Amino acid sequence: MLTYLVRRVLIMIPTLFVTSAIIFSVMALSPSDYFSNYAAEMQAQGEKVDNSRIDFMKKEYGLDKPPVERYFRWIGGFFVGDFGYSFEYQMPVSNVVGDRLYLTMLLSFTTIIFTWLVAFPIGIYSATHQYSWGDYGLTTLGLLGLAIPHFLLALLFLYFANVWFGISIGGLMDPKYFDQPMSWAKLQSILAHLWIPVIIIGTAGTGSMIRTIRANLLEELQKQYVTTARAKGLHPMRALMKYPFRMAMNFFISDIGSILPSIVSGAELVAIVLSLQTTGPLLVHALQSQDIYLAGSFLMFLATLTIVGVLISDIALAFLDPRIRLIGGTTK
Amino acid sequence: MRRMSLLFGLLALLLAACSAQAEIATPRETPYFEYDVGDGKLPPVALRLPLHPRIIDLPSMNRETGHPGGTWKMLMGDQRDLRMMTIYSYARLVVFDDKLNFVPDILESIQIEDDKVFTLHLREGHKWSDGQPFTTEDFRYYWEDVANNATLSPSGPSPSLLVRGKPPRVEIIDATTVRYSWDEPNPAFLPALAGSQPLFIFMPAHYLKQFNAKYADTAALDKLVKKARVMNWGSLHERMSRQYRCDNPDLPTLDPWRNRTSAPAELFVFERNPYFHRVDQTGQQLPYLDRVTLSLGTTSLIPAKTASGDSTLQARYLGFEDYTFLKQNEDLNHYKVNLWENGQGSFAALMPNLNAKDPVWQRLLRDVRFRRALSLGINRHDINQALFFGLARESADTVLPQSPLFKETYAKAWSTYDPAAANKLLDEAGLDKRGSDGFRLLPDGRRADLIVETAGDVAEYVDILELVGDDWAKIGLRAFTHPAHRDVFRKRILDGDTIMSIGSGIDNGNPTSAIEPDDLAPMHESQFQWPRWGLYQESDGHEGDAVDVPEAAQLVDLYRAWRRSTNKAQRQDIWGKMLSINSDQVFSIGIINGTKQPVVISDQMRNVPVDALYAFDPSGFFGIYMPDTFWLANAPGG
Repeated sequence: MLTYLVRRVLIMIPTLFVTSAIIFSVMALSPSDYFSNYAAEMQAQGEKVDNSRIDFMKKEYGLDKPPVERYFRWIGGFFVGDFGYSFEYQMPVSNVVGDRLYLTMLLSFTTIIFTWLVAFPIGIYSATHQYSWGDYGLTTLGLLGLAIPHFLLALLFLYFANVWFGISIGGLMDPKYFDQPMSWAKLQSILAHLWIPVIIIGTAGTGSMIRTIRANLLEELQKQYVTTARAKGLHPMRALMKYPFRMAMNFFISDIGSILPSIVSGAELVAIVLSLQTTGPLLVHALQSQDIYLAGSFLMFLATLTIVGVLISDIALAFLDPRIRLIGGTTK
Repeated sequence: MRRMSLLFGLLALLLAACSAQAEIATPRETPYFEYDVGDGKLPPVALRLPLHPRIIDLPSMNRETGHPGGTWKMLMGDQRDLRMMTIYSYARLVVFDDKLNFVPDILESIQIEDDKVFTLHLREGHKWSDGQPFTTEDFRYYWEDVANNATLSPSGPSPSLLVRGKPPRVEIIDATTVRYSWDEPNPAFLPALAGSQPLFIFMPAHYLKQFNAKYADTAALDKLVKKARVMNWGSLHERMSRQYRCDNPDLPTLDPWRNRTSAPAELFVFERNPYFHRVDQTGQQLPYLDRVTLSLGTTSLIPAKTASGDSTLQARYLGFEDYTFLKQNEDLNHYKVNLWENGQGSFAALMPNLNAKDPVWQRLLRDVRFRRALSLGINRHDINQALFFGLARESADTVLPQSPLFKETYAKAWSTYDPAAANKLLDEAGLDKRGSDGFRLLPDGRRADLIVETAGDVAEYVDILELVGDDWAKIGLRAFTHPAHRDVFRKRILDGDTIMSIGSGIDNGNPTSAIEPDDLAPMHESQFQWPRWGLYQESDGHEGDAVDVPEAAQLVDLYRAWRRSTNKAQRQDIWGKMLSINSDQVFSIGIINGTKQPVVISDQMRNVPVDALYAFDPSGFFGIYMPDTFWLANAPGG
């Protein structure tokens, strides 16, 4: 187990290195850069741009240096906690991302819990009551959530939340709380706004999770050992939860790898439509305006979380399912 | 002795400023500051104002005298939009009044001799927003330690300060008098000072010296540089001193509101500047509004949020297509939607790229007959009816009727729908061969399909091109739209890969002869009809190509002549010549102007004009209408 862990952790280093190189080269391939982009946007409005000023800025921020040098400077900074400099915000990347991280995590945790709370009972119910009206009804509902595009749902919710409940459009709180420290009123405002994105983002995850739980559980329920357990008079609930359900959880555990990054990045599209103060819109905007260190460091962060998440799910799977062994090597 | 006798028209400003001071009322304390004044944190209003504040006589402007208080809520896209506050605030050394005359604003007066010698008189006792005196030291600091410092300005002072490459002599006469003089006239000086994006020739020296290696203690400066994680003191100074972008809450300002929020934030709060230099005729210090808040969010949500009453006064990020929707919610959310007129020479203009790389296309695009034919082949009336309910104006790309330089002939030149004449011109231009499907062929046998590129940011452009394509099909040409990301779009044009693009026409559709005519000549890289010629001028011939079309070269000469001009008659003459060359040569094919911009105004908001021109230059969107005189009825403290 220990050698396996060490090997897994060591493999993460070249993986991250290759990832960072790919991220940086994709961004460096772009024909222009943040400052030219900024100048273009200003000119589109009629503003004059002093080109020598743009060149001055590029030089100040090291954009005149060869890409390889910029890459190593950027990646080197990671070891001392320096994630580069955001051109857009004129401050170190860590300061920019910091504030938004908490709201994003709040939103994502709530969404994940919501998904679980809805998907597990429904999944188990539809598996145990296969082909019943309840099964059809609930699965259809889940599939609807999966099928309707997020942004469309978001727009509908925006409209009705405003018209029916008078909730200000978009955002995770009323604008008047933006610059205030956390208070009871601010928390209330956040909670009043939070349910909209939670339901929107949650519905799709719910739909697919119901289907998977149902399918996996059904497969287990057909097996001999379940029939035997029931025949021997084991309580139906225990006969369900003790073995079949545990087996059906494998997919869920292996999914943790993708849950970790999604806690931080959330659903970008919905966040943009709803104008949420999460990290998603920040990333998309940074990519659009070619704020390369902000975008790059963010992507690196997500890559790291994915790799760590996969590691966690591997370990958890080993504990959950004794059939999975961590000792590698080929067996004949 | 300097010759002080011949002072031309602009000197009248001095007299106007003096006469206004006669009727000064006793300044009244602003409720917002009463507490701080009582506490001794702030001096009373009489001591905060300059000795001679600028008095705004509201009744004479047909405006109501207001009450102080309230918040102007606004919706914006991102942090860069903070600069809108500098544009909207419109406090400048010299400003344009609503008739586009120059009026001293931050300056008490200005003396001008032959457009060569400009003597600027500051208001005695004028203070920065942090209470420190605003003096000629701030001008000296900018000139000596910023504009002529190799680290901070590697390419030297701004072009508007150079006459034939020569900088001015800057003399500090006393604490409130500074003189800029050139050997030859510099008509570009005043428009640059009064611009929406002004030329700042002063900076808060007392604040910025701590970031300047010449004045600051080396160890302390090093610490600041490290803390901000920038490369050197130059970048730090640059970052802390951006007066236009106004993203540094510590940077003292002379604007009516000052930023109180450090980035990054979702809501930026601007608070009234206690030392602002304008008062109304009753002695109340302006601005009336205590605060301006900018809440940042997704731009596509702004029309919806505005319609739900989230903004007190909003025009940015609203388009004509939002009008009916906004109008629907007027009563429900207590606001009015007014339609202002867009101030560009053309809302949509087709720009034939005279610098196209393809030799066959280049020859054709440079043929004036081809450009005229394209213009004659557009049915502008139908476009106006179909897309703008007939509210816009069918016109070539030229100045608007509001401008004193306007002539009917400019707007009408080659802009009436005449497919027969267009067909004839196209035949003459060498497009007389047609393919089997009836569409015209280029001289080398390729089909003459026009691919029109757009930056994809204005939805109406695609609709307009759809209609233009139908019209052009009738004269044997086909048009295709190709949207691209703005970066790619601009790069393709500059590289000559694009043969035609669509964008807005002349930026300033309401100029006077005192405004630089650089929109009308190849002077900038950002002009899509001749980007490489513009780049050549901008880079002093280091990049781009020299102008090699006689008419365009003539425009460059005329622009240069304007920069050397000494009086209004000359300038008017030059503007006239440049406008008529442009309309005769159809360098950009204007389709429609005078389109409408929805402006959403809360029912409580007073003094906002009902009907006005909406443009970046010269009016700074709201700036020229003086948002510091806008006020809210029923505002707390009002």
